[in-house]
Amino acid sequence: MAFVLEIEGLTKRFGGVTAVNSVSLRLAPGRIHGLIGPNGSGKTTLFNCITGVERPDAGRVLLGGERIDRLRPWQIARKGVGRTFQVTRVFPELTALENLLVVTRGDREAAIARARELLRFVRLDGLRDEYAGNLSYGQQKLVEFVRMLMRDPSLILLDEPAAGVNRTLLNELLDAVRQLRDQGKTVLLVEHDMKVVMGLCEMVFVLDHGEKIAEGPPGLIQADERVIEAYFGR
Amino acid sequence: MTRKLLPALVVAAVALALYPAYGTGYGIRAMLQIFMWVALAGSWNLISGLTGYVSFGHVAFFGTGAYTGAILIATHGWAWPPAALAGGVAAGLLALVIGWPCLRLKGPYFAIAMLGLNEVLRALVSYFEGLTGGGNGLSLPTLYASVQIYYAMGALAAAVVAATSLIVTSRFGLRLMTIREDEVAAEAMGIDTFRHKLLAFLLSAIGPGIAGALTARDQGYIEPLSVFPLAITVTMIVMALFGGKGTVWGPVLGAVVLFVAQEIVWARYPYVHPLLFGAIIVAVVLAMPRGVLGLLQVMYRLPRTI
Amino acid sequence: MTITPTMLGQVVVSGVLAGSLYAMVALGLALIFGVMRVINIAHGPLLMLGAYTTFFLWAGLGLNPFLTVPLAMIVLFVIGALLQRTLVFRVVDAPELSSLLLTFGISIAIVNLAQLAFTSDLRAVEYITGAWVLGGLAFSKSRVIAFLFAAGVTALAFLVLQRTRLGKAIRATSQSREVAMVCGIDVGRIHLLTFGLASALAAAGGSLLAVIVAIQPEMGQVWTFKSFLVIVLGGAGNYPGALLGGLLLGLVEQLAALVLTTQLSEVVAYVLLVAVLLVRPTGLLGGRQT
Repeated sequence: MAFVLEIEGLTKRFGGVTAVNSVSLRLAPGRIHGLIGPNGSGKTTLFNCITGVERPDAGRVLLGGERIDRLRPWQIARKGVGRTFQVTRVFPELTALENLLVVTRGDREAAIARARELLRFVRLDGLRDEYAGNLSYGQQKLVEFVRMLMRDPSLILLDEPAAGVNRTLLNELLDAVRQLRDQGKTVLLVEHDMKVVMGLCEMVFVLDHGEKIAEGPPGLIQADERVIEAYFGR
Repeated sequence: MTRKLLPALVVAAVALALYPAYGTGYGIRAMLQIFMWVALAGSWNLISGLTGYVSFGHVAFFGTGAYTGAILIATHGWAWPPAALAGGVAAGLLALVIGWPCLRLKGPYFAIAMLGLNEVLRALVSYFEGLTGGGNGLSLPTLYASVQIYYAMGALAAAVVAATSLIVTSRFGLRLMTIREDEVAAEAMGIDTFRHKLLAFLLSAIGPGIAGALTARDQGYIEPLSVFPLAITVTMIVMALFGGKGTVWGPVLGAVVLFVAQEIVWARYPYVHPLLFGAIIVAVVLAMPRGVLGLLQVMYRLPRTI
Repeated sequence: MTITPTMLGQVVVSGVLAGSLYAMVALGLALIFGVMRVINIAHGPLLMLGAYTTFFLWAGLGLNPFLTVPLAMIVLFVIGALLQRTLVFRVVDAPELSSLLLTFGISIAIVNLAQLAFTSDLRAVEYITGAWVLGGLAFSKSRVIAFLFAAGVTALAFLVLQRTRLGKAIRATSQSREVAMVCGIDVGRIHLLTFGLASALAAAGGSLLAVIVAIQPEMGQVWTFKSFLVIVLGGAGNYPGALLGGLLLGLVEQLAALVLTTQLSEVVAYVLLVAVLLVRPTGLLGGRQT
């Protein structure tokens, strides 16, 4: 099977601290993958290495068989990797609609139509002319989510989508993720909320102190001794 | 929004075009100065107001344009209109040379590099005495062209405002603003921020380059201290900040209000006004970061594209 | 022109003597940047105020100019802390644009206040002139004494950073403000003291320069640029790097003066900055990526 994303022996150090230590993992197409682990286990650093925000000290990142670990973040984004951030990063002084329009080129009317369609998808079309900075945190999170979809990415990285979101909104978001999976997109999400991970993901990777200590389907992961010790045990 | 202002703009343009036929010598000179400040503050706004990358050395482009224009006119016998355009080209090239290394990096590198640029150019002008006349300055052949320069500077100011308006209403402009708002997120969206910054910087250098060359022609004599003073950078920053950075008409408002205030009030206390400019920068940053126009936009929910 | 070993020896001597001042002053800028992520554009103008403090204490009270160094440091510590307390603290968490513009505004105000108060006339502290000659190398007396003072003040600053609780708190805050807060460090107070300390380092630079060069209100601005260059050479966030960066800048400028001309030493410094940014933006000695 061809993997969408392959990470081989990836290591990232900050000064004397090894944030990610020789981690390897592979993402299968059309699946939802979870990345879990205690605080400071290296999940966000791994995300940053995939998206080019950080440059790994060792190891390789392959997207569809092609190395991307030396590319700039915008180049990786254009290759079809979309991401959201742990703390939502909308462009506050741009309207919700403009947040989505920034990446489009060519026919302006068509771009607006597509952006509004995505805003309707998360029921924010009515707020399209509001500055993103004036929206609630949950609404900003949705804007960020659909903004990421404007490029129609094939690989979607979500950094703690459930954090700071109420139940209703969360369920909508999770439904949206499933829909995207059904469209054939590959998803990798970092999440603290175990219920979300276990209910949504088909494959889970566990990081602890920068190392991958387990991987497998949610059921097996929950029974894994090392995972229980590192994660659930505390 | 600017479209709604169009009738007013046409009236203003006609009035300004007719002005030299009726105005006094002093009035024409004052208007020329205002045009120049509109062009300078508006150009600074293109890079710093839109992308948030602060240029502390925009006078470098003014001076570069002035010397380029003056040398072409005085030594090579060029007519002033092509020399003025050449001044803009030279300033643009300088922007590419400086922007290439400095705009790749986030953080204050760009701001400091621009802060140092002015001293460097002054030193270079003094060093290449044969070309520039060094500290003795450079005299241009006598030419009475004040009214033509008035129109040229007016056209330049209009071009800068029009360019800003086009950029702010375009998706290119939106992308420039994403750099100011959140550069990491912009890159994650696939925006090549470096190229955008470089292009904005290039555009922001051309206007001051042309303005410098026109000023050199108008004054007939330049020297390093007259075309590379920090005060010109300070003034354009103050005007853009006071009027409202990142807006189309803010720098125009700032240039007109502060120039008039300078002429009427502060001319009597010449030493106080640079001090006041420093104080205005501090006050605007702390109390009114959007400037006058930005404040009005928020209060009356006006569109950002004004 | 042939370059003799003696000339190169002179470059090293003059470079190290000048570099010690660069290192000390730049350490101040590096501290503020490290702790607050603010580049203080007013750093050079604060140095200028230090120079005037020494001038007036020498001219007015007849104090030995070198003995005024600690006094100038105290005066500028207070001024720096006040600036932080009244103005700068408001932009510490704001976008970079705000802190750059704010400190730029402050620097313009300080320079023009100095022009109003002290006029633009050149002033000089004529205290010690001439040079000691050792093995064919000239050691300018004023520069040697300034070097010793700078070395002492810098060593003291590092002692404070390494050994005292305050120093540990400063270093912790520049590593991570969140961690510092969790450890019970009063971050606001650390910002205040850091700004004061940094201004005192600038003041020491100005105070020592007063004996070496002419004083005027605009003398400081180029020091903001040079201090930043030193930080870039040494690697941002790397405090010992500032020392090596300072010495390096001193040596490069002297070498440029020898090979080219003194007129172009600023140009050389600038080209150095641009070259380092192009080739190795994390600084020649490495450091934290910003």
